[in-house]
Amino acid sequence: MSLLKASSLSRLGTASLAGYALLFVTFLLAPIVIVVLTSFTPHNIVAVSFDGISLRWYERIWNYRPFMDSLVTSLVLALSATSLAILLAVPAALGLVRSTSRFADAVTSFLLSPIAVPPLVIGLSSLYFLASIGVGTSFLALLITHTVTSVPYILRTVAAACKGLSPSYGEAASVLGANGWQAFSCVTLPLILPGIFAGALFSFLVSLDNLGLSFFFGSAQASTLPVVMLSYLENQFDPAIAAISCVQMIIAMALLLIIEKAYGLRALITQ
Amino acid sequence: MSTAQSTGSTVTAARPDSWRRTPPLWLYLPALAILLLFFGLPLYEGLLRSLGISNIPGVDSAFTWNHYNKLFFDPYYLGVIGETLKVSAINTLLCLLVGYPIAYFMVRHAGRWAAPLMFVLILPLLTSIIMRTFGWNVLFARRGIVNEALLWLGVIDTPLRMLDGPAIVYLGLMHVMAPFMVLSIIPVLRSVDRRLEESARILGAGAFRTFFLVTLPLSLEGIITGCLIVFMVTNGSFVTMLLLGNGSVVTLPLLIYQQFNQSQDMGLASAMGTLLLGVVLVCLYVQSGIGRKKENR
Repeated sequence: MSLLKASSLSRLGTASLAGYALLFVTFLLAPIVIVVLTSFTPHNIVAVSFDGISLRWYERIWNYRPFMDSLVTSLVLALSATSLAILLAVPAALGLVRSTSRFADAVTSFLLSPIAVPPLVIGLSSLYFLASIGVGTSFLALLITHTVTSVPYILRTVAAACKGLSPSYGEAASVLGANGWQAFSCVTLPLILPGIFAGALFSFLVSLDNLGLSFFFGSAQASTLPVVMLSYLENQFDPAIAAISCVQMIIAMALLLIIEKAYGLRALITQ
Repeated sequence: MSTAQSTGSTVTAARPDSWRRTPPLWLYLPALAILLLFFGLPLYEGLLRSLGISNIPGVDSAFTWNHYNKLFFDPYYLGVIGETLKVSAINTLLCLLVGYPIAYFMVRHAGRWAAPLMFVLILPLLTSIIMRTFGWNVLFARRGIVNEALLWLGVIDTPLRMLDGPAIVYLGLMHVMAPFMVLSIIPVLRSVDRRLEESARILGAGAFRTFFLVTLPLSLEGIITGCLIVFMVTNGSFVTMLLLGNGSVVTLPLLIYQQFNQSQDMGLASAMGTLLLGVVLVCLYVQSGIGRKKENR
């Protein structure tokens, strides 16, 4: 009897936990769903419309040059910063992961630290430094700062992937006559590729939305999407912001789905 | 099989160089050089600038504690520092209270719902932070859905001004950071040995006692990791405070943003940046201490 009572009590507990989880999901989705719905309004007011949908705000952002230009800038920037960071972080991870010295530990901590420093602080200090070496506000300045903050994301996931590698793979490759480069490109690289992609995805998403870093370096020639969105918001409040937000989300989702199809989400979650 | 293995190991011992082709350590040098130049050096110069030493043409360069004096002794700035730490601490606590049960549910009870739940946790990371604050603005506007619903239900007579106070800022911050808390706790909770819980139950502990005396302490590591991440990121964020709450929550990053846009007092802005950097270093130190403890175990 008491056992029965206990089990029905625990079922009640699980049910209320499930109800709570549903509430949490609603909380996480609410502001996103509302923006998606708002983007299809045919009216000028920023609200969900209950009398018909229209694509006029998508048409508006398509014709509004600053949004489209900065979207392209942001995508090119995120892609190039991530690529550069891969070139820097993958060798670093390979070199550092096997070492147990204190010095190597310190180097690893330093290379990971840009994740923890507020982007605003990195941006502010870089602004003066880059101006003093003649880079100023330009795409190059954006590229340098975004690359610096991308390195730790890739280093982290690639180092985790390397740790899981048994050294015997490399040994087997050498036994079979592979030189160092062949052993890397045919054996190690395919094994750490999921780590590279997971880190690259994070780095890409962070770069795409890094307002704190980007707003110092915005110029007429090269401004990123979040900076343009913020200055648009300061001047007007209309559903165009909803539409451009949705476009950015769709791009990020497509990227996630491609990487998930290729390598599975597990690699992303276990970090 | 065993003979092959033993011959293999003798050969390895005899010819270590050609057999163990581990990647050389110096491969980290390009990354280290780039980060020292474009991350370490700028931050170091920022530190010097906060002490009055700068290489900006046309600005006097002389050592001074003035900026820090202003930060720590001017009641306004001291208040902002306090507010920054308070907001980060409250948000961390809120995320923990809200997030832990979700992590627990996902690991223990979600079953086939675990995958869609994980997608919902990751979805906010795919959206811009401007999109989310915009969404809160639409939801809680004077003629927004929440007000209309409350009016329709008869809970209120006139629309509430829900976008003005600090509450909406905390809601926005929690929305951004709670997924990070949940994602930090999940792996630790998954590794908790369930036999320990069963033992506690068999020895007569109730569900609550088992949870608070066994499960919770065993997942402490994930809790601390999550709390440090949430605290650090909240401490450095400004977009939520800028776009929500109508200026009711002013923190150091927001002030740096405003200094840059308006008064351009760069020494003071650098001092505030350095202070934020200091908070980060303390958090990282705590984190590395936990990491070391884990390795020693």
